[in-house]
Amino acid sequence: MKVFTRFILTATLAAAAAQAQFNFELGSAPVQIHSFGSQGFAASNQNNFLTMKTSQGSFSMTDGGANVTVKISDRFRVGAQIYDSNTGEINHWHPQLDWALADYKFKDWFGIRGGKVKTTLGLFNDTQDMEFLHNWALLPQSLYPTDLRDNTIAHLGGDIYGDIQLPKAGSLSYTAYAGKGGNNRRGGYYYNLADSGAPINSYSNYVYGGDLKWNSRVPGLMTGVSVLRRSTSIVGTSLTPYGGFPYTADSSPAETVTAVYADYSKDKLHLNAEFRNDADHLNIAVLGQPSPLDASTKGWFVSGSWKLAQKLEAGAYYSAFLVEHSSTPSDPATKHIYDRVISARYDFNRIFHVKLEGHFMDGYGDYYSAHGFYLRSNPSGFKPTTNMLLLRTGFSF
Amino acid sequence: MNKTIVLLALAVFASPAFGGDVKVIANSSVAVAEISSDELKRVFLGTKTSLADGSRVEPVLEKGGAAHSVFLKEYLGKTEDALSTYYRSLVFTGKGSMPKVLASDAEVAAYVAKTKGAIGYVSAGAVAPGTKTLEVK
Repeated sequence: MKVFTRFILTATLAAAAAQAQFNFELGSAPVQIHSFGSQGFAASNQNNFLTMKTSQGSFSMTDGGANVTVKISDRFRVGAQIYDSNTGEINHWHPQLDWALADYKFKDWFGIRGGKVKTTLGLFNDTQDMEFLHNWALLPQSLYPTDLRDNTIAHLGGDIYGDIQLPKAGSLSYTAYAGKGGNNRRGGYYYNLADSGAPINSYSNYVYGGDLKWNSRVPGLMTGVSVLRRSTSIVGTSLTPYGGFPYTADSSPAETVTAVYADYSKDKLHLNAEFRNDADHLNIAVLGQPSPLDASTKGWFVSGSWKLAQKLEAGAYYSAFLVEHSSTPSDPATKHIYDRVISARYDFNRIFHVKLEGHFMDGYGDYYSAHGFYLRSNPSGFKPTTNMLLLRTGFSF
Repeated sequence: MNKTIVLLALAVFASPAFGGDVKVIANSSVAVAEISSDELKRVFLGTKTSLADGSRVEPVLEKGGAAHSVFLKEYLGKTEDALSTYYRSLVFTGKGSMPKVLASDAEVAAYVAKTKGAIGYVSAGAVAPGTKTLEVK
């Protein structure tokens, strides 16, 4: 309840702040300051989800961030954003530098940005924390798992990007990037491996990839494809009844994530869909003994929403997460997580909104897949289905 | 009956929501006299920052109002919410800034008149001294 009180206080301050002027000039350079925050309440009939005690009802779902951007010249811009969150046992109020970058646009078709940069992957990877941008209280967890966001959210490196006008065929937006991948000791990846009896001592990953969007001439239609390649290197301890043994895990070959997606909106209607294939082969060695693990997964979702009134939008999505090689094939619930979702969003004004969402989940995935279901949060084992009600309110300005 | 039809037609054409009731204005530094609707859309979505003549441009929006509604529908093909989501996704990912938003035709006209490269829109009947009107092809 303390967290909820903190959120209310923050939101009240935000409302006051939003009335004030947050665009000003530093010398002759325009400065913009923006902020957002959200508070959720989740209650499930069985299985605790996302490390929260959802079976008892949990307010342990809060996040927020603030950014500042300075436009040094028409072509040159610098900025940074702080982000903090608390989702059950994940992150636990440890602020992170979400992004911090310098961006120089030489031409409309060619720009560079460097620093800590949000990774462009699929429809929502770089905006997945900004729930106020989406109709959903929780994005499809098959592709955008809240507990694993640190793995893909940003890279320390650089992007090249641009927009190319196609004669009579719309335009293309491209991004190509490379750098050191995300790592959060308080994130779901660490939590999951500790849960599995293989806590991580050190973890590093390097990523490169690209994204290509086609903004078609059909009004409101955009399609795209993304590819991310990641080389991961883990050193950890395998906990056994006979003691702890050091292990290493390396991606071999590099993990390859491929996404194809589409988005269409017209008047009150908004549709989108994405399919993703994650080819993830780990070469694990315990005491030098190699043990390959195929941790490959697939996922997809389709969603639709309709504006019922100026401030009210309702929608639904179907999300599927598929484990390619379950370690417990006799248990069908380890092979997938299907989530049928209905949702409604009400915008009080340009700043505040509230969402109500029902999740009807089938399955809990494999032990290495995480995606919300953790043994530590469910010590007596998993039930095959989970129904969850989620209420989330937030602000942005 | 004929009188009723004429009155209805006049009402429609006089409505501020009618498409012809918005004009695109630019600072006098913008050399071109016309702009394609594709170019205009890209300027206001932040993906085009210079025109064919090489001049840098900066979009200026109105905060609501009839001209704003017509402009979004006719030239950007986006609803108010969709445009807001688009800009905020840029701002909160570090991939862009929020464009200038002003409260009225008069404020937009005054800003465009004094700001090099500025492009905005106002009601067709609005007076915008010191600006030039761009023809949208």
